[in-house]
Parts: sequence; C-alpha cells; structure tokens
Amino acid sequence: MKMTNSSHMDRRTFLKGAGVSLALPFMDSLTSAAASARPPVRLAFMYMPHGVIMDQFWPDNQDAFLNSPPPIIKSLQPVMDQCLMMKGISGVPITPFKGAPHALELSTWLTARLPNASTRGRINIAISADQIMANYVGAQTSLPSLELATMPQTWKENQEGLHEAYYSHCSYRSPTQPVPAEIDPRNVLTRLFGKRGKAGKVTKSNPLDRQMLDRVLGGARDLRRTLAKVDQDKLDEYLDSVRSVERRIAAIESRQQEAALEKAGVRSSKRDASDSPPIEVKIPEGDKRSEYMQVMCDLTILAFQTDTTRVSTYIGSRPNGASYPELGFSNQHHSQTHYGNDQEKIRKVAAINELNVAQYAYMVKKMHALKEGEGTLLDNCIMMWGSGLEDGNKHRRDNLPFILAGKGGGALKTGRFLSNIKGNQGDLLTTLLSCVGVPLDRPIGISTKLINEIKA
Amino acid sequence: MERAKLILSQFALAGFLSVSAEGVDEAALREEAQKVFDEKVAPFVKKYCTSCHGSRAKAGINLASALKNPGGESASLHWKKAVANVKVHDMPPEDSSKKPTDEERLQFIKWVGKVKYLSKRDPGQFVIRRLTKTEYANTLRDLYGVDTSIADSLPEEVAGEGFLNSISSLQSELFLGIANKVVEQIMASKGKGLTANQKRLFGEELSKGTDPYKAARGVASSLARDAYRRPPTDAELDVLVDVYELARKNKLNHTEALGLMLKAVLVSPQFLFITPAGEPKSKESIVLLDDYQLASRLSYFLWAAPPDAALAALADEGKLHKPEVLRGQVARLLKDKRSRALFDGFGAQWLRVNDLDRRVFDPKTFPQMTTILRKSMMEEARLFFESILSENQSVARLVDSDYTFVNEPLAKVYGLDQSVLGSKMRRVKLTNPNRGGILGMSATLASTSFPNRTSPVLRGVWVLEQILGERVPPPPPDIPELEEQARSEVEGLTLRQRTELHQSEATCRNCHKVLDPIGFGLENFNAIGQWREKNDEGLAIDSAGKLPNGKSFSTPAELKGLLAQREADLARNLTERLMSYALGRQLEGYDDVVIDQLMVKIAKNHYRVRDIITEVVTSYLFTYRRIKG
Repeated sequence: MKMTNSSHMDRRTFLKGAGVSLALPFMDSLTSAAASARPPVRLAFMYMPHGVIMDQFWPDNQDAFLNSPPPIIKSLQPVMDQCLMMKGISGVPITPFKGAPHALELSTWLTARLPNASTRGRINIAISADQIMANYVGAQTSLPSLELATMPQTWKENQEGLHEAYYSHCSYRSPTQPVPAEIDPRNVLTRLFGKRGKAGKVTKSNPLDRQMLDRVLGGARDLRRTLAKVDQDKLDEYLDSVRSVERRIAAIESRQQEAALEKAGVRSSKRDASDSPPIEVKIPEGDKRSEYMQVMCDLTILAFQTDTTRVSTYIGSRPNGASYPELGFSNQHHSQTHYGNDQEKIRKVAAINELNVAQYAYMVKKMHALKEGEGTLLDNCIMMWGSGLEDGNKHRRDNLPFILAGKGGGALKTGRFLSNIKGNQGDLLTTLLSCVGVPLDRPIGISTKLINEIKA
Repeated sequence: MERAKLILSQFALAGFLSVSAEGVDEAALREEAQKVFDEKVAPFVKKYCTSCHGSRAKAGINLASALKNPGGESASLHWKKAVANVKVHDMPPEDSSKKPTDEERLQFIKWVGKVKYLSKRDPGQFVIRRLTKTEYANTLRDLYGVDTSIADSLPEEVAGEGFLNSISSLQSELFLGIANKVVEQIMASKGKGLTANQKRLFGEELSKGTDPYKAARGVASSLARDAYRRPPTDAELDVLVDVYELARKNKLNHTEALGLMLKAVLVSPQFLFITPAGEPKSKESIVLLDDYQLASRLSYFLWAAPPDAALAALADEGKLHKPEVLRGQVARLLKDKRSRALFDGFGAQWLRVNDLDRRVFDPKTFPQMTTILRKSMMEEARLFFESILSENQSVARLVDSDYTFVNEPLAKVYGLDQSVLGSKMRRVKLTNPNRGGILGMSATLASTSFPNRTSPVLRGVWVLEQILGERVPPPPPDIPELEEQARSEVEGLTLRQRTELHQSEATCRNCHKVLDPIGFGLENFNAIGQWREKNDEGLAIDSAGKLPNGKSFSTPAELKGLLAQREADLARNLTERLMSYALGRQLEGYDDVVIDQLMVKIAKNHYRVRDIITEVVTSYLFTYRRIKG
C-alpha cells in the first residue's frame, strides 16, 4: 500500500465527484489503521424469489461454466473467473409448515431455521447471518449493516398462520426483530452520503446531541420500569436504535477528527491513493425495474467502497407481487412459476431469472473494475446471489441456486463450478462467515459442517 | 332475538355490574356456555378435528390447546378459523373417514358461538405503540406549526405489521434528524427577535433577575405536557432541565438551550410512543383509562393527531370519561377537517384501496390509468365514505347508494350521461342502479383485479371478508392458478366457465361455490371498473348467480341490493374493524361479548355509521384497561 502526501487532496476530489460529504472511510484509530494494510472484507446477499428454471441455470460442467454458460447466467460470462457456483446445497426442510413455501423462502434464507411453530402469529425465528456479522464488525463502520429492497411488500397472506412479515424480511436482528429494508434509493443516498450538491460541506453533528441522547436514555429507564414485559421489548427496540444513533454520532466525530488530522498533514487513512474514486450514483427517473435494481446495486458498491458498512442485504424482489413490464409481459412473477408443461410460462420465468442475474452481474462487473489496495474491490468482497427455492413449480428446496462472486480477501477460490457439493443452506452461511473472519459460537441454523470445497 | 335477551344495557360503562337491568347475569351465561362446551363442542372437536388439528397444529389451527382453555385469548382465533372451515364444508376433508352431517355442522357453528361466554370479562391491556408516520407528522404539525412533509423521510409503515414497526440502523437517526429540523424552524436566526412559535413554546425572553433554571423548568413542564400528552413527572422534568444545563455549560444561551431541551422532548419515547400515564394506584385488575389516555386514544383514533386544547382541558378537569362528554367530543372531532384521517388511516385500508397509486396496471390494456385518474378514484372513495359518515347514514348505503363523487376523468370511466368537466370532484346523482356504493366504484373494483384482467375470486373474497366480515379459509397450498389450465381445455370458454372448471375439483369446490357467484356478479365491471357487456374473449357476460342463502340475482344492481339487506352483518363487520383499529389490537375472547352488546344499541337506529363510532368510543373496551393478570 502506497502512502503519499497528496492523498487528502485526492480524497477531496473524490468527494466532489460523488457528492459524498459524510461517509469518509471510517477508522477506529490511527494506529490500527496504519497497522492494517489490508482493506476490510465485506459480504453482501442479493435475493430473487421463486427459484430458477433449473436446466437454464446450472452449467453442465466446468468448461461450460466458463465458456458457454447457460442463458440465465450468461451475463456473468466476462467475470466468470471471479465467480463460484456450487450445486447440491439443500434448503431448510419446511415439513411442519408445508403450506407456507413462500412465507418461508425469504425468511429462512439467511437464518437457515424455521420459525417457532407455537408462536407463528408473531415473528420468532433466529438472528440472520448478516446480522451476526453486523454484531461482529458493525462497530467499525458508521452503519453496522445496510438493508435494501426494490419495492414495498404488498402481498398479504398468513400462510399456515405465519405472520405476514415472514414474507418480506430476510434480516433479523434478533429472533423477534425483523430489520426493515429501505426501498427509496434517494433516501439511502442522502442518509449515507449527505445531500447532493453540497459536496464541500460536511454535515455537522451537533456536539451536544450525543450527551443529550444519553440523558434521554437515562430518563427512559424510569418509564421502562412502569411497563409490562411485552411493552418493555417494544421500548427497548427504540432505545437500542437511539444507542445506535449515539454510536453513529461518535463515528462521525471520529471521522471529523481524522479529517482535521489530515489537514494538519497526518496521513491517516487506509484508502490507497491509487484506489478508484467513489462511484457516482444516479437516481433513475422512470419506473423501469431493472434501473431501480441497478441503483440499489450502485448504493451497495458505494457503501462498500467508502467502508460505510461491511455487510448488506438486498432483496431484489420479494415473494409474490413483482412484475416486469419491461420484459414485454405484465404477469406477476409468482403466477408464472407454477408452469407445469407450459413452455410460454417457462420462457417468462427464465426471462425474469435472467433479468435478476443480469443486475447482479452489473454489480459484480462494476466492482471488478474498481481498484482497491493491491487488487479490485471485488477481490475484497463476497457477493452472494440466490433464491430460497430451487424451483417455483414444485417448491423444491433440495438444490438451491446460489452464485458467489469475489474472493473475500483471498478466502474463496473462484472461477470454479463445483457440481457435487453435499451440504445445506446453514453450512453455506456458516462457511461464508468463517471466510470473512466472523467467529461463531455455534453453527447457523441447521448447519452441521463447513463446506471447505469452496475455500481457497 | 336470542341475542337481544342477553344484552346488558348500559353495561359498557357500568364497569363492575355483572347483572343487567333485564336480569341476565354473566355467571349464568358462562355456566350454560360451559355446559354446551362440555357436552357438545368438545365431543365434536375430538371426533372430527383433533387427529390433525391437535397439538401438531396443522395449518396453524391448534384445537388441543383451545380445548384445554376454550375461553382463553388465543383460543378464539382458532375457533373462528375452525368455524369458517366447517361452514363451507372445507373441513373435515373429503377423504376423511368420519364426516359430520349437515345438521351436526350447523349445530357446531351455533355452539361455538357460545364459547365466547367462557371468556373472562376483560378490556385487554393498554398496549403501548409508536406513533405511525402519519400520526407523528400530524403531531409535529399541531404542536409546532411545521409542515407534515417534515416527516417524509420516515419509512412507510407496512399495514398489518403495526406491532413490529422496527427500525433499521439506517432509519434510526431519522427521528433525531427530524427533531433537528423542527427546532431549526422554530428558532429565530441570531440577532433577530423571537419568532411567534418561539414565544408560544418558550415564553418571552428571560428578564433580568429571573432564575434561568426555574424558567427552564417551567418551559419543560409545558412542552412535556403537550408532547407527552399528560402532565410530566418530576423525574421527567429533571431529565429535561439536565439537558438545559448541559447546553448552558457548553456556552449556549437561554433560548438555544431551550432548543436543545425541545429536541430532547422530541426524541423521548414518551413523545414517540403512546404510553399509559404512570402506574395506577388501584388494587383492581381492571381500571378506567385515565382522562389523558382517553384523550389520546380518542384523538389518534379519529384524527391521527394529538388532543387539541379543548380535549386537553377536559382531561385536565377530569371530565372526559363521562359518557355524555365523550359523545359530544366524538361529534365535535368528526366535524373537524382533521377527521379525514379516519379515511386515510382506516377507510382506505379497510376497502383495500390504499395502494391504488402503486398498483401495476397493464399500460397496453389500460393506458388511461394515469396518476390523475388513480388519485380521482381514491378521492371518490374518500368523499363517499365521508359523506356516509357526516350524514350519519346507514351502513347499507355504503353498499348501495344513488349518488357518488366524480370529476371529468372519472365520469369518462363511468360513461356518465351528465356533462362533468374539469378535475374538481363533485357529487352527482346516479341514474344507473349498477353504480353507486362501494361495489360499483372503480377504486375498489380496480384494487381487486389483476394488472390485465378481472379476478372474480379476489372480488368474491373481498366482498365476503372486507364487507361482510366472513372468514374465508385460505386456499390449500400448491394449487394451480387459473392460467395454468391447459390451453386446449379452455379454448372458447368464458372466464366463468373456466373458473367453474376449477370448481370441478373437490378441494376447490366448497369454497369457490361461495366466492365465485359474488365475483361473477361483478363481471360487468372490467379490471378498472368500466362497464362492459362482453368479456375479453368477446363473449357475453352472464352475471346471474345465487348467494349461499339461496337468493338469486341477475345484475350487479340486484347483487348490491341483496347485500345491502344484510345490514346487521355489514354493521357488525364495520364495528369490529373500527374497534380493532381504535384499540390497536386484534379482537378476541371477551371482545365478542362486548361487540354483541354494541350491536343491539346500533341496531335500534338502523345501523348508522356515526352511531357506530360513538358506540365504539364509549364502549367498555375503549374506556377500560386491564393492568394486572
């Protein structure tokens, strides 16, 4: 890693370009930054519901994977050497909730567990893999984790008596706390990176806010005592969020301090002068779904690039409800997935699958073109794409479709198609967390082992 | 009527009474219910249901625990689901070895109706909840004179997830950011005199010789009284004065320090959550809501906004809980323009038209579904709902009326003869009996359709569940959708014939023979509510059908007429939904008994909608809360 005196000038230029005012790469302290020459490792999950048309998704063999990928994953061909596919990962068996394939495909995706059957009317599942990572690395960035989705969940159904929020959430901060995803790209951009057009002006945090919040939290303890247990939980959720605001203010203060030190000529960032500048994010004007998906991908890239967060989830679309008029038909995704032998429907589902993978490919390719440290941004990330069903026609879950991209700082060996993996969804999540260096006190969900074949 | 005999008049506010004026006592009812349960319900359930719906709880219906504690809170939902399935012969399944006779089914449904008397008398707890986005914005508007758009950055709530309302890390600082903006807008710029708002909230500038801390405590007390919707405790004032002190010690002047104090108020959970006021001293396990809680519950129910000065004064005087005062306040609040929140927050969700602006319509088939038209459709639904309410009309008029509200784009969709020009909505008299009421309204018809075609099934479910308040069992998993029927099979068939094909399957038939006729009765309305004589395939539409009670109809107008006759069902459904919205919880157990009593009162004056709201507000459930047990 090169250290140059001109770095702070460069940084200012970057900021101008991206309209970024707030999210400078954050760091704990000068010493730790100087010591850690390697960029941090980040992990992202991107979701598509209802599974894939299997024979248009899986390559026949390693050679086909690299050189003649099937239609659904064709968009990845230019970066296939950065990708890893493994066939044979099974999902969580949902036997006790047989009638709830769609309520469970998203909610079991990162938890690898079933909801608690006796309190199914309420959310009670398990902390999700992304939030486990956020607990471990979240304190080092201004945002512990980032949750995105393309549109609001409009589908309402209590399959098997399960709470309808199981349909729409993949991230769970605790068994009872689903994390809502942000759907408005403009909101994300403003909140992560300040207002556009005011590049020079750093959003100032009021120095007294932190201490004021501290007093408010103290006062809330009295209120808490007068409440019933269930009400205390609700209040705690808010108080937790106030605490996270306190922490975020601390992060901003520390960043301001860093900026001041830099001004005084003290080099303090782990960002290398030769790193690519933060990408520019354009909010789409129309209502094309692919453009909305792309801007969410861009925001993920920007958040990773600026080390605003190290773990993110992106629900490309939620079960039921989504349609893709730009593909030339207005049918809803789910209505086509029970295709039986209808070739027309198979064609439509494949087109939807292809469009989803293409957005993921857009993100991965862009990351591969961005320099970071000794290599690319993608080299330091693991980007997972997948679905919670193998195939929407029969709701199978024996062989879930997953694609990994990025080397996770050297933990993964990419450019491979592993055709005969034996493991489950929990095993995969557990392995990924081990790749990004998150220690676990127990495996995730139904996991029983690591899938070492995917590691470098 | 049997139900009328059971009624306990003036019961709701009598609190401790267990014997009514008519001499029917709850203990006797409970005893009878227990007997019916032991002798009839339990044997039926054990014989036909528990082999699947025992503790394994197939499809989420657990009758084992409901048998153990039939009057328990959680049991009532299981009973309701069980009744719904048994009623339409959906359960026990066709292939089961033991099946009840029709007579047994009817008896079971009747017996389960009595199970509610086993529930203990209980108004439910006062559940704390965070202000919704709308309530939060309205509260800032009413208290601090800021525009409601100040809260636009908050995420939209997902309906039905009310109790979740969790916040992500990204969202968590929004409340602080908005508080910052509010304070910024209130404060005068440096060197300028105080703004009017500042004077109102913070008082005049500090005069010489005044103790600033004493003055700050005074301001804290009035800010917190409004923001916490009750008088603050001493400890709460200490916290705020502490914040003031923090600011002063950091060289902020008096006014700036009050600004920080206001910010602290705005991020306090006492402001963001509707909380009970302190611990009641009573030894009773059930107490009246105190007047402050009552004022909040009432104003957020009807206005989605905080109590105004008049309500706050009544609470301070301790008069609000008196039934005649409460009735007067309901009438007053409903006259205020803030009461449009009742449609925005309740009506639109009830009618399922709340996401009309976001729904996808096939642009090729329906190029006219522009933002303007969608807005006009919503406006029609709102103005119609509000007219029924403000004129205190019967619920039957919601379903069947001879007027509506239109502007030019809507009049085109309806093909009205009258000339209606411009975008302004106006009330028009309808001559076509097929229109008029929520069943002939494009907002609801479009909201119950697919992007490119109508869905008789969705419309049927909508009428049964949303309008009549019946429970429709969910479809079994893995069922094929209509579109999957092989082409050769459906060629030349109308949608009705195709759907009837669907009905030939045993698993589908029982429910669909109830749902489909209603949906097909509305087939003359296309997927955005335009009238048509022929369907998409060019075949003539046959909208004739029969309701489960055997009454037949041949046009949408006749269908509406039949549904409008079911005033008692319409009113009960609306009452239950309003009650649930007002309390912020699902109804269960004892709630049914209270609703029965309200229905008797509401029936006396032909089920008028404003009467329903008044009865909800003065009810036992609205005015009491359980604090123990």
